[in-house]
Amino acid sequence: MSVSTHDRSLPAKAMASFRLPSAFWLIAPSILFLALFFVFPLLKLVAISLPDGSTEYYHQIFTTPVFLRVIGETFRVSLIVTVVTVAVAYPYAYAMAHGGRAVLLVLTVALLIPFWVSLLLRSFSWIVLLQNTGLINNFLIATGLIERPIRLIRTPLGVIIGMVHILLPYAVLPLYTVMKKIDLRLMEASSICGASWLKGFARIYFPLSLPGVMASAILAFTLALGFYITPALLGSPRDMMIAQMIAGQFTEQLNFGLGAALAVVLMVLTAVAFGLFGAARTALQKRDRRKGEA
Amino acid sequence: MDKLRRVLFWVVVGLTAVFLLLPTLIIVPMSFTTTSTLEFPPIGFTFEWYGKVIGASDWQGALINSLVVAFAAAILATVIGTAAALALHTYRFPGKTLVMGLLLSPMVTPVIVLAVGMYMVFSGWGLVATRLGLVLAHTVLAIPFVVVSVLASSRMVNPSLALASLGLGASRWFTFRRVTLPLIMPGVLSGAVFAFITSWDEVVIALFLADVRTRTVPIMIWNQVRTNLDPATAAVAAILIVLSALGVLLSYKFREARS
Repeated sequence: MSVSTHDRSLPAKAMASFRLPSAFWLIAPSILFLALFFVFPLLKLVAISLPDGSTEYYHQIFTTPVFLRVIGETFRVSLIVTVVTVAVAYPYAYAMAHGGRAVLLVLTVALLIPFWVSLLLRSFSWIVLLQNTGLINNFLIATGLIERPIRLIRTPLGVIIGMVHILLPYAVLPLYTVMKKIDLRLMEASSICGASWLKGFARIYFPLSLPGVMASAILAFTLALGFYITPALLGSPRDMMIAQMIAGQFTEQLNFGLGAALAVVLMVLTAVAFGLFGAARTALQKRDRRKGEA
Repeated sequence: MDKLRRVLFWVVVGLTAVFLLLPTLIIVPMSFTTTSTLEFPPIGFTFEWYGKVIGASDWQGALINSLVVAFAAAILATVIGTAAALALHTYRFPGKTLVMGLLLSPMVTPVIVLAVGMYMVFSGWGLVATRLGLVLAHTVLAIPFVVVSVLASSRMVNPSLALASLGLGASRWFTFRRVTLPLIMPGVLSGAVFAFITSWDEVVIALFLADVRTRTVPIMIWNQVRTNLDPATAAVAAILIVLSALGVLLSYKFREARS
């Protein structure tokens, strides 16, 4: 009989009392460090946003059109970016999952190279690509698709392009993980039974890939909510997102209370989105388990 | 019909790959242009911009700040994170899920929220505009990466090896140093590389915590991009890309050693 540290036959309590001292010393530095330099700053923001327990800043945020517009814009951009990202990621992940080894290698490299280049540098590169004399406009003019350069930079379109580019790897990976487990013979079976490709896809493949779609959509959306660098560099101040507004309150308006309240709003929105992510995953896992039992 | 669909599919996938690679690939060639504006394709060929950047004292200062902060943050995060990951892997204790959640949450907190929160707290502690403040902030960001990496590698270690060592009379510390640590080393090292890159690339927190003396390379780039776009920025970007690539290769080497 082996006595491993994972041995479930030992009562947990006995294990704990036997091991706790050294577990405590291993874990204590990280908890202390994060409590001081991570949790405390977040709590401080909550405290600043509620001077003497008054909710005036939150009241101001949710009644002033400017703030509501920025929150609305943040949701709108995040939603568009999420839809586009998942739509672009889906065929890409499909090719990675079912295209064979060589395709997988090439597509993985293409996915990971930008993943390793910092967000700032990629946004910088998009400025150069999207400017009026940039590669994209020159290409479109050369092919005769447009006559005059179209304005891409400092527009919502520019922000969306830049954000999709940054979020794409995050969206592809969960999709790929789910898709590579899908048996393509199911599609063959459906086509033998006379179903068209489209019908087979809509009724068999897509539902099976749904957990991946949800995972990547929620991940993309949650990350998109907090974007700061890309909208600041590629967007116009008119289409500001909430992160830029927070930064502005601290660096330009110097209204720390309001900035802190906006930061708390963003924190809560992000936490809710991640909560949904967890809930959706458990729901899908339950569904799959039920099917497995049936 | 079937064939058309297939062709269309591969065209879409191919275009997506181009879309992914394009921004990274144009940066390096742009840094060689002889014009004073950023051009792609570049016009002529010169190392002038590299010379300009390497010779400039503000870039040198920023580079030293970046290196010092990233090294310090990587070491701090690796020590703290490895210890935590070992505890999470080896022991069962009350509130373990909660601790795990705390350790990973810096990864999912919007960085702008962290930046302003740290700014408020650190200014009270005299840590704003110091390298120490940046090190502490970047360590917070890097800890989750170390924890994930070390946990992944310790899951592959056979637990009976450490038990055998303890059973043969070795002390706990000896067992850790001579048995456990060498076995999880690949995870520790790749976590350290992750931590280094996290700090090296970080811009939002540094915007709030750094001043002219303590600013890092990403802050210099940020300022350049916001004021005037010139090929010198592309030269810096190219240097950073090459350094990142080396870091990635290093971390894959460590992982290979693991398997």
